[in-house]
Amino acid sequence: MSVNQALDTAPPAAPLKVRFGGLGTGLILAAVWIALIVATGLYRPDFFAQQTLLAVAFTMSIVGVLAIGQGIIGMSGGFIDLSQPAGLISASLVAVRLSEAGMPFPVVILGAILTGMLWGGFNALIIVFAKLNPVIVTLATNFIGLAALYLVFQLAQVPLNSDIYVFGRQSWLGLPAIFWPMLALVLIVGFLVPRTRYGRRMIAVGGNRAAAKARGISLRATRFATFIIAGGFVGFAAVLFAGTAGPFNPSSANTLQLNIIAGVILAGISLSGGRGNFWMLLLSIGFLSTIPTSLVFFGLSSDTQSIFQGIILIIAVSIDGYRALRRTP
Amino acid sequence: MTDTALKSEPADYVLPHHPVRDFLTGSVASIGITFILVLAVGLFWVGPKFVSFGNVSIMGTFLIVPLIVGAFAGFALLSGVVDLSIGSMVGFSSAIFALLLSMGWDPFSAAAVTLAFCLFFGAINAVAIVGFGAEPIAATLGMLVALRGITWVLLGTQGAIFAFNIELFNLVSTQVFGLPLFFLLAIGLTLLAALIVTRTRIGRHVQAVGGDDKAAARAGISVKRVRAGALLLSAFGAGLGGIVFAGQLGSAARATGLGLEFQVYAALMIGGYSILRGGVGNPIGGALGLLAVAGVSNILDLLAISPYYVNIIVGLLLLAAVLLDRLRGGDAFE
Repeated sequence: MSVNQALDTAPPAAPLKVRFGGLGTGLILAAVWIALIVATGLYRPDFFAQQTLLAVAFTMSIVGVLAIGQGIIGMSGGFIDLSQPAGLISASLVAVRLSEAGMPFPVVILGAILTGMLWGGFNALIIVFAKLNPVIVTLATNFIGLAALYLVFQLAQVPLNSDIYVFGRQSWLGLPAIFWPMLALVLIVGFLVPRTRYGRRMIAVGGNRAAAKARGISLRATRFATFIIAGGFVGFAAVLFAGTAGPFNPSSANTLQLNIIAGVILAGISLSGGRGNFWMLLLSIGFLSTIPTSLVFFGLSSDTQSIFQGIILIIAVSIDGYRALRRTP
Repeated sequence: MTDTALKSEPADYVLPHHPVRDFLTGSVASIGITFILVLAVGLFWVGPKFVSFGNVSIMGTFLIVPLIVGAFAGFALLSGVVDLSIGSMVGFSSAIFALLLSMGWDPFSAAAVTLAFCLFFGAINAVAIVGFGAEPIAATLGMLVALRGITWVLLGTQGAIFAFNIELFNLVSTQVFGLPLFFLLAIGLTLLAALIVTRTRIGRHVQAVGGDDKAAARAGISVKRVRAGALLLSAFGAGLGGIVFAGQLGSAARATGLGLEFQVYAALMIGGYSILRGGVGNPIGGALGLLAVAGVSNILDLLAISPYYVNIIVGLLLLAAVLLDRLRGGDAFE
């Protein structure tokens, strides 16, 4: 389950310990999540309703897919992709324009994913050839991208009753339709990353660049691959976003960023790379997505939501930092 | 005799430090050139009215808060930690200051209490980052969001607090020699910060901690104390900026300070600071960066060009600045 096994140079005792550590993160997350659910349910028994489940699953979907992309960047040592909003909005715009042209649904999905990959590739191009840190590069490209998008459009929406519009409002097995692709993707990525050669290479680069390079892994190719694949996830998230959002403008995705970063850190995917388990994203994103609904049931205004999110992020990164301090003597 | 014998000559291939060459290849020179370019473009496209007192005074009024915030936040960058929460801190400070004024407090005690609150939140940043070793970008991002939530709760359902104080407004909008007094004060503050950074022991300690914290620790500098102090300074500066903002506007609103952190840090990075490694940058360079960005947006304003081009130009300038910083000896990524 733990991804640290990927480095087969690790001492034999390490996997067991790390596996336990990974399980610990999951147990703590699950405990906190259940505590939140039970507390809200005791205060307001009507919290246990189909509506709540729908709301939480809905919130989880887009953030979850974006968090996979963010997790790939983080795990491979690329820190944070701050340009996800610009990538998401450009891919959503492509999805809108393709649906307006009456294209079939698969073409719309493909168009959005390719746009996301293109955006990721563009970021990687600057990062690799200018040898600049991804945090600053993506900060700048997000600036440029969102401003350029404002020049292209002010407000966009998928046409009513187009395939993507219907998909965004469907529900399968009692949950929003957009929830199931997210669940499948997290499970698949979480299964494949520690078990395939490419996944292990990615973790190796994130864990120790010099060691990975010495073993013949191309850092440039890995950087390109991770940014393009992560961009693909942003593109797919755009399908879910465009299908469910009403009219959106280029700034509409800015509020997602924090939950994604918080979710990735809470899941134990280290921003400094080489560590983490994608399956934990289901717990961390699930917990973070329950908070807004819980606050409503506690009768708190939606403004207080930011306070809780911020405090949780500060605590999560403090724990993450404390763990790292203890690990390095 | 023994002294000269112990002094080893530098190897041939190491360029000895020379004030003129150091200045020309340093960060202040490149932003200085950028600044002059912006001035030239402005004069060429807009004409002499670009540097008229009226126009500079308008730009200066908008620059007061970013200059104050930037001068203090620069210390955090210099010590190797980045504080993203400054934008929200400005919003929070203006909200609580306006709230206290509207409750009938006198401006001085209101300002003191406001600054105390800001220092408290700055201390939380310091504990998380210095005490627990949290990633500064992520931890202060959390503080950014938490403070925005607190600000919005303070502002209530109305989303704004009106606290117009005529004496305060007159003080903030005083003009001296055709320029806003507070703009000149903010420039003075920048120069003072530059003096502290380059000429005092404290400034050299901050630079040493940012440049190489392990070496600084071996040299007997308390890395934790310097970084915690820098984070507190950054919170203090943002609090000061928020108070001035509230004085200028006579109110605090949900949008106050929103996105200011990106505006300030983009300009500071263009001015030679780095948000990823400490020890580089200079308050004068940072202030020139802010002036250059304000100049660009003013030119586009006067020519009635879409303001979105400003962000594109700022983004490109930012990439150019970090590339230049890397070529000058910054860390290459991979």
